[in-house]
Amino acid sequence: MNDEPASEQQLREWEAEFEAAARRPLAVRMRYSFIRTYKPVLDDAPYRSFDTMAEYREWCEKNLPSWLGYGRSV
Amino acid sequence: MAVRFDYPQAQEIRDTFARHKVRYLFIGKSGAILLGFSDTTQDADLFADKSLENGEALAQALTELGFALTDEQAAEIKRGKDFVQLKNGPFDLDLIFAPDGIETFREAWEHHIEIDGFPVCHPDDIIKSKEAANRVKDRESLPRLRAFRDYWKKHQ
Repeated sequence: MNDEPASEQQLREWEAEFEAAARRPLAVRMRYSFIRTYKPVLDDAPYRSFDTMAEYREWCEKNLPSWLGYGRSV
Repeated sequence: MAVRFDYPQAQEIRDTFARHKVRYLFIGKSGAILLGFSDTTQDADLFADKSLENGEALAQALTELGFALTDEQAAEIKRGKDFVQLKNGPFDLDLIFAPDGIETFREAWEHHIEIDGFPVCHPDDIIKSKEAANRVKDRESLPRLRAFRDYWKKHQ
């Protein structure tokens, strides 16, 4: 999927999902929303830091598998 | 592997950061989820005010939460490096001191939203940040996130 406008039908479906979510308490929404799976490379160090966001983005581009989606191109 | 981030962990952040007077905002998809966005994410992203005083409070609060920070890592947090990724604690956390697309913490704070005591970036700021980052995963989530922003505004 690209950053393109959604169709009317898609918008209606999403709105129905947002309405369903709004009926759930925050704790329940969070239980459904936060997931945990292993992300290669990214999860392999206990701590990383970068002086600038540009350095972080560059590191992601160079080191992470492209399918993780942290780069600007696939 | 750290535990999955969930409501109790968010409460721990909120309460511990409040005790230490840390100035921060939930940002990214985790922030949007707090506002009601129905989607999935793995990370909790916090936008922290970049100042020595806030950095010191933040490092103390993280240590209290159980993050095993070395002296050097604590110093980096106090200094406010632009991006710090923590996987050395009870849950994973990304600290962002200079998110793409947002000029200053003060500007984001002025129109932030409070949900159950959680300070959250305004959806417009979350979207601006993702537009500026322009990663593949951001581009994938932006149409739905914009739809949520519009839905959220209609229901305020």
